[in-house]
Amino acid sequence: MANVLEVRELSKQYKKGVYASEKVSFSIGEGEIFALIGPNGAGKTTTIRMIATLLKATEGDAVVAGHSIITDPAGVRESITYLPDEAGAYKTMTGKQYLEFMAGIFAPDKEQAKIYIQRATDICGLGDRLGDKIGSYSRGMIRKLLLSRAVMSHPKLAILDEPTSGLDIINALEIRRMIKDLAREYKMSFLLSSHNMLEIEFVSDRVGIIAKGHLLEVGRPDELKEKHGVKNLEEVFERVVKDNEICISPEERA
Amino acid sequence: MKFVYLLKKELKELLTLTTILTLVVSVVALIALGGVMGNVMEETTENADKITLCNKDSGSYSKAVIEALVTAGYEVNEIEISSDDYVEELNSKDISDVVIIPETFSSQIEDVLAGKTVEKDGEKVIAPVDVEYVTRMNSLSITGNADVGSTVALSAIEGAVKSVVYASKNMSVEEIKLIESPVNLVETTVVNNKQAKESSTLLSAYVMMTSMFVPIVVYILIIYSSQMIMNAVATEKIDKTLETLLSAPVSRLSVLSAKMIAATIVSAVYAVGFMVGYSYMMDGMTGSIAGAVDSSVISELGLKMSVGGYILLGAQMFLSLLITLAISLILGALAKDAKSSQSLLMPIMFMAMVPYMLSMFVDFKTLGALKWVMYAIPYTHTFMAQSNIILGDMTTYFGGLVYQIVMLAIFMTLAVRLFMSDKIFTISLDFGQKKNKYAAKKNKKA
Repeated sequence: MANVLEVRELSKQYKKGVYASEKVSFSIGEGEIFALIGPNGAGKTTTIRMIATLLKATEGDAVVAGHSIITDPAGVRESITYLPDEAGAYKTMTGKQYLEFMAGIFAPDKEQAKIYIQRATDICGLGDRLGDKIGSYSRGMIRKLLLSRAVMSHPKLAILDEPTSGLDIINALEIRRMIKDLAREYKMSFLLSSHNMLEIEFVSDRVGIIAKGHLLEVGRPDELKEKHGVKNLEEVFERVVKDNEICISPEERA
Repeated sequence: MKFVYLLKKELKELLTLTTILTLVVSVVALIALGGVMGNVMEETTENADKITLCNKDSGSYSKAVIEALVTAGYEVNEIEISSDDYVEELNSKDISDVVIIPETFSSQIEDVLAGKTVEKDGEKVIAPVDVEYVTRMNSLSITGNADVGSTVALSAIEGAVKSVVYASKNMSVEEIKLIESPVNLVETTVVNNKQAKESSTLLSAYVMMTSMFVPIVVYILIIYSSQMIMNAVATEKIDKTLETLLSAPVSRLSVLSAKMIAATIVSAVYAVGFMVGYSYMMDGMTGSIAGAVDSSVISELGLKMSVGGYILLGAQMFLSLLITLAISLILGALAKDAKSSQSLLMPIMFMAMVPYMLSMFVDFKTLGALKWVMYAIPYTHTFMAQSNIILGDMTTYFGGLVYQIVMLAIFMTLAVRLFMSDKIFTISLDFGQKKNKYAAKKNKKA
């Protein structure tokens, strides 16, 4: 299958010698769900923000549906949607107004915008509450609204940072199923980031483990479990991250 | 004991380095403001003992009055005024006011001594002696106008005339009562290059009342618009709605432009609404003063703003608004949370408050080296605009306008560059955060 995202040695240096993300390379195929997992401060969000054209890469490149984040960031933004972790929405708008506003930005014309709004309305399942101000929504309701916004345009690549954070088990399960369905039916590709290994194992086709700015392992969850001789992805994660820490020299540790 | 823990926690929350810094800056600014005001008031008080005088009378009484003024502690500077063109006379002699004793002064005093009376408000009073007072209105501030000078001149001359009259004639209590106001101060006020026979006290009151209005609108406009755009940017950043918006298929410049234009429109609507409301309020307040002043004199002296004047004033107000929006956008991006966004408003508040307060009391041009510090604050020029336009100091007006355009270009460039770069997401100002050396080292390894 053709790659929707091609990340090539992507690096981000905030201060001289301090890399938040260093030479990260991976790819995501059409209709593939790829999860980037790693401990806090590993460089997941920095990598995601570079792909979403929010941060400029210090080195390397990423190509989304043929558009380079370096030379054609506007083209990249036409092909993606991004849902940040713990994102909010405009509290003075109603849910419906928010969807109308975002559809107006993402859709090429009014007809398409109507289709997007209808899709998002069906996906979020907020019903009549869409007429209420977002300020009155619970965290879970806001997350569902934002998720529906992120997929309503059926982008080539949806980047979801902690997609189910703030959702209860039932809603989280619904969202995971929705992601899988969209990938299968509409060939949408997903780049996810999550701390929930159970979720990652259930939803992802492939996983990339990142720590201290380096992408350490990439593979299918089954392959990784087999390679490390463990029962679940949590243990794979623990082993890879700890092995990597041991690899750091005592001088570096000081 | 538990309460002490609670109290300690609350104090720690409230007394951050940012709040302490804000307090220190406020106190320092107020002390500095007090210092400037003190110096200006001192200068005004010092000048109150000095009288510039032209004696056109050749009789003995005018000399006696001048002697009485000197005896009373006044420093009398005698000059020659040969023409009625007071604009030229004040300009050539580089003075701001002069008391003119007319040629008929001694003969008028003799009339007083002879008991000549006139009818005033249905009562017979001694015919008052005419004395002319010419003053120039230098600025619209309290200490810059002529109000103080005319009061001093009148009371000084009255005192001197009374002492001369008492000394010349052994008067009864009844007679003294009759000459309680022996001097009729005929006032001429010079504004820019025009002069008119009108009380400088009344004109000052009128001008002060009307000139109070613009600085208040400017001040409120600055504070309101800065608060609005800072909150808009800070909230978008904190709620991460900015990340969503900037990853959408729209250019960053259009997101920024939309924010600026919306804030400008709302601020302009707010300003217009406020100006309409305030002008009604001022009409009520200045109605009695406006009634007492001859409106033709106001127009004659050019104290009423023309349409062109209002356009020029509006131009500087608009520039101030745009500068505020650009600075606020930068400060809003620095906010880490809602609390810090409130603290970050302080620089703008001070930049607006200091020239606002000073403009009411002081003529900036008299501040010596300090005036350059004040001129460096872009808002100062807007607070001075009305005074500059009315008093015809167009060099200062256009100088200020050019400076504001330069400052706007600088702040706008900085705001655009910030918005177009990574810094919009990574930058934050946090005075309270202590550096964790261990964490920094650890990050370096990563």
